[in-house]
Amino acid sequence: MTDFRLKAEGAGQSAGLLERAKSGDLDAFDQMMRLHEKQVLSTALRMLGNLQDAQDAAQETFLRLYKSLNRLPDILEIKSWLYRVTVNVCNDMHRDRRRRRSEPLSGPDPVSSLPDPELAWVHQERGQLVEMALKTLPEKERAAVVLRDVQGLSTREVAEILGSSEVTVRSQISVARGKLKKFTDRYLRKRL
Amino acid sequence: MNCTDWEEQIVSETGSAELVEHIRGCEHCREFAAEIENNRKALADVTIPAPAYDAVRLRVRSEIQAKKRRNAWWAWSAVAAAAGVAILCVSLILPTTQQPVTPKLPHIAAHQPRIEQRPVTVPVVRRTHRARHVPSGRLAVKMAPAQQNDPLVVKMLTDDPNVIIIWLVNEKGD
Repeated sequence: MTDFRLKAEGAGQSAGLLERAKSGDLDAFDQMMRLHEKQVLSTALRMLGNLQDAQDAAQETFLRLYKSLNRLPDILEIKSWLYRVTVNVCNDMHRDRRRRRSEPLSGPDPVSSLPDPELAWVHQERGQLVEMALKTLPEKERAAVVLRDVQGLSTREVAEILGSSEVTVRSQISVARGKLKKFTDRYLRKRL
Repeated sequence: MNCTDWEEQIVSETGSAELVEHIRGCEHCREFAAEIENNRKALADVTIPAPAYDAVRLRVRSEIQAKKRRNAWWAWSAVAAAAGVAILCVSLILPTTQQPVTPKLPHIAAHQPRIEQRPVTVPVVRRTHRARHVPSGRLAVKMAPAQQNDPLVVKMLTDDPNVIIIWLVNEKGD
C-alpha cells in the first residue's frame, strides 16, 4: 500500500515535470533527464560497448525526447518510449560505425579476430569479456538480451519495446545467451 | 531428455520444477546454469562515473539553448525579410498611383524643345560635311529642307539612276 502510494506520488511529480517541460521550462526537462539518465546511458553503453558512443547516443535520445514532448500523452509512456528510442539510436550508430570503420561486429570467430585470450583474460574481467561477446551479436538479439538481462525488463515489456512477439523475443534471448556463453567459454578454456 | 534439451530450458528461463530437479542432480547442467547466471550478472553490472551523466545533461541543455537561439534568429530574419519585401512593394506601387496628380508635368514639357534642337543641328552638319568630301564623285548627297519637327531627309544618289538611298534622321539624331 505504501509502495503504491509512493509510486503514485512519483508519477504525479513526473507528470508535473512533463507539463513544465512542455511549457519550455528547461530545468524541469533537466529533472526529467536525471530521472531517466541511468536507464538510457546504461542501455546505450551495453549496446555500443564504449562510454563515448553511449554518451552520444544518450544525448541524441534526450534531444529526441525534447522534440517529442508535446506528442507524448502520458508520463508513464516515457520509460518505454526512451528504451525504444535508445535502441533505435544505438542501432543507427552501430550501422554507421560499421560502415565507416568496416569493423566486423558480428559473424567472425572472436578468437581469431581479437587479441590473445590469455592477455584478454589477464587484463579484462568477465564483464569486459561479455561486453566483447555482445558486439558479436546481431542487433535484435543484442537489444533483447540487454533489455532483459541488463535492464531487468520482462519478456512482455521487451517485446513491446522492440515491436516483436513474446515468442520471438524469448527465442532471441535464448540464442543470445547461448552465444555469449560459447564466446566466454572459448576464452576461458584457452586460458585453462 | 538429454542435457542439451535441459540447456535450452536453462537459457530460456522456463524455470519448471523438473528443470530445478535435474540441475540438482546433474553437474554439467549445474555448471551450465552457473555460467549463464555469471554472464547475466556481468552484463547487468554497469558502472558509469557520475561526470558522464553530468556531461550528457550539459550537452543536451547547451544544444537545446543553441537551437532556441537559432530559431529566434530565423524568426527575426523572417520578420525582417517580410518587412523588406513590404517596403519594396510600397515603394514600387506608390509612385505609379501618385503620378497622375503630380504638378510637375508643365515643367517637363518646358524642357522638351531644348532636347529637340540638338539632334536637328548635329547630324545635318556631319552628313553634309562628309558628303561634300566624297572623293570619287560617283555619289551625290542631296539634303531635303528640314522643318522644325520633321525628320531630316538625306537622299544619296548613286551612279545607277534606279538606286537612291534615302536616309531619315529623326530629331534625336538616330
